[in-house]
Amino acid sequence: MGWSRLHGLFAVYKPPGLNWKHLRDTVELQLLKGLNSEKQFTPQEHIRFLLAPTEGSERKELTLMATNVPVLSEHPLVRGPNYTSVKVGVGHRLDVKSSGVLVLGVGHGNKLLTDIYNAHLTKDYTVRGLLGKATDDFTDEGRLIEKTTYDHVTQEKLSRILAVIQGSHQKALVMHSNLDLKTQEAYEMAVKGLIRPMCKTPMLITGIRCLQFAPPEFLLEIQCMHETQQLLRRVVHEIGLELKSAAVCTQVRRTRDGVFTLEDALLRTQWDMHSIQKSIQKVTPRVEAELKKYQTVGPAQRDLVGHPAS
Amino acid sequence: MAGVTTKVVCAWARRAGPPLPRHAGASLRTHWTPAGKSRSRREAAEAEAEVPVFQYLGQRARRVDRIFTWGFSYTGALGVPTFVLPTAYGPAAGRKPRAIQPVPYRLELDAKISSAACGYGFTLLSSQTKDITKVWGMGLNKDSQLGFHRSQKNKRKGYEYVLEPSPVPLPLDRPQETRVLQVACGRAHSLILTDSEGVLSMGNNSYGQCGRAVVSDEVYSESHKIHRMQDFDGRVLQVVCGQDHSLFLTDKGEVYSCGWGADGQTGLGHYNITSSPTKVGGAIAGVNIVQVATYGDFCLAVSADGDLFGWGNSEYLQLAAVTEATQVNVPTHLPFSGIGKIKQAACGGTGSAVLNDEGHVFVWGYGILGKGPKLMETAHPERIPPSLFGLSDFSPDVRVSRICCGLSQFAALTNKGELFVWGKNIRGCLGIGRLEDQYFPWRVTMPGEPVQVACGVDHMVTLARSFI
Repeated sequence: MGWSRLHGLFAVYKPPGLNWKHLRDTVELQLLKGLNSEKQFTPQEHIRFLLAPTEGSERKELTLMATNVPVLSEHPLVRGPNYTSVKVGVGHRLDVKSSGVLVLGVGHGNKLLTDIYNAHLTKDYTVRGLLGKATDDFTDEGRLIEKTTYDHVTQEKLSRILAVIQGSHQKALVMHSNLDLKTQEAYEMAVKGLIRPMCKTPMLITGIRCLQFAPPEFLLEIQCMHETQQLLRRVVHEIGLELKSAAVCTQVRRTRDGVFTLEDALLRTQWDMHSIQKSIQKVTPRVEAELKKYQTVGPAQRDLVGHPAS
Repeated sequence: MAGVTTKVVCAWARRAGPPLPRHAGASLRTHWTPAGKSRSRREAAEAEAEVPVFQYLGQRARRVDRIFTWGFSYTGALGVPTFVLPTAYGPAAGRKPRAIQPVPYRLELDAKISSAACGYGFTLLSSQTKDITKVWGMGLNKDSQLGFHRSQKNKRKGYEYVLEPSPVPLPLDRPQETRVLQVACGRAHSLILTDSEGVLSMGNNSYGQCGRAVVSDEVYSESHKIHRMQDFDGRVLQVVCGQDHSLFLTDKGEVYSCGWGADGQTGLGHYNITSSPTKVGGAIAGVNIVQVATYGDFCLAVSADGDLFGWGNSEYLQLAAVTEATQVNVPTHLPFSGIGKIKQAACGGTGSAVLNDEGHVFVWGYGILGKGPKLMETAHPERIPPSLFGLSDFSPDVRVSRICCGLSQFAALTNKGELFVWGKNIRGCLGIGRLEDQYFPWRVTMPGEPVQVACGVDHMVTLARSFI
């Protein structure tokens, strides 16, 4: 009964410092615990005719006696647990130091993971940066390469650099989507902002802006696609270089992955079967609606779209 | 970092190599070890605190000015001689000449340029300095539209093509006090606006566009003649050049014109040549005009109240909203509704654009107007969707701050410091890296924030500043 409701996609909140593989294994173990604890074993007994020594005779004789013996064929120690494996798949991965929304698929939902990947949806991140030093792996804990001053950096300069980054990535968005820009459809899609590449491309930032600026710290919100978290840290490093200073990234946190937001993400205390089932039920209609938009187009290029998604 | 004094080192004093801790005796390790588990946190923090801090930019550093040019280079209008003539020495040795520069190319000039103008195959750059050299010109000089540039090889002749930004000699009374405010270029003539010595004009005068009497059989090539016009009623605030005519705007809000009038572009009520600047009447008589625009044979004027007036060629539906005539020789009010208060107008050869005070761009006329391949002609202004200029949920406050027209292309600068271009891509003049026409606004990316843009027929010039 529980297993039939355990098919679909759900999101968990990955804390920093946890490998995504370990998280997936933990979730699988918790699901197995939940599934195996469903059916309580009720020991049954049946009648078997067993040879037993007869009472009250001088010679040692065995006769068939009807005895109540427990049914061992249904015993959990004999059969083992009902469920030994559950197929849990991971959507877009998060590396060890980052945190945030991680989409997992369970059972038949693993097939939807491929569809989600082919829909090429954008993801939201909040990235925290620290001005004044540069390290070799662009994080706080790397080997220090250089320390620089940052008193000349103002919020206005930072917004200017971010506007340039966003502008050049917007250009790359349209170039990678391989549209013929001379057609009316391309113009209409550009007006609505619907142009997106539907194939594999390098990281593209569809939006970047500064939420907080308190030197030496700053907080950026980045909306991107086809990214990895290390590339986002590299973007922070390059922003530091453009500002004629240096910056490292202290935190990468994914706040949205496609249709899954922070509200849908399950915390560590909620990684059990019931919460996961409820979460799957809640999110399924949203996921289906989003995937329907892209089913007609598929992974091919977008030069056949006649009407926009509305 | 409070309480720890670190030595600030200037970037030019930097030496190569990984930073070493100041006091080598503090740690027993003499070579670098990876940070992390093999080093205690305290040791790592101490070592980090002793690393010198480099300063790449002071707190009050100024932004550097840059000039970018792109488009057709064989006329020399881009100002890079190695694009036209290959050299055997120097940094560009062996580089092949290139006819088209498809993306912005930085022009090295040791002066702070405040105004730039592109004509038909030539460029003028001017600075507001009090030095002797105030204006530089490059490109076509067959009608002396860049002044006289003496040839190095033959001292009696002048250059027909000026390949590098060369100083334009100006006959000023007080050359070390007068400042050049603005330059404007037309097909074969140019105008230079100074603050106290009137307007200087040079180049072709076959239609009186330089503001002086037409001399029959005058040879304009290698001419030293630069005419000065000072008898305006009031101070001249803006000069613009059309194809073969000139417009002057004074601080009293009056417009003067001279030059060719066969399309009525002089706005003086006739279709003849005018060889001295004459006040324009019609619908703008008594109106306080704040900006005029022209580049082909059609002119637009914007009043202080945000009204629009037009005159000149109307074969491409520029004035079709008010009249059926194809030539209008008197300024006519254009009562367009729905475009708000006009802040700036710009005309091209066949299309026109206006900018209202909300930062929206409206286009009308004929040709590639910027709303896709279907909209090729319209008599009524149509708004270009602001989302094409970068307006989105992420950046909801994007507005266009300036527009400019070339002969068949448009350029728009936004308040976020981005340059958008659209129109016919004649010999790569759009600067987008491709040679195809662009039917809707497209970003031109350059290593600098564009501040001013000037459009010509087949090239463009941008004055920009560095980001930081």
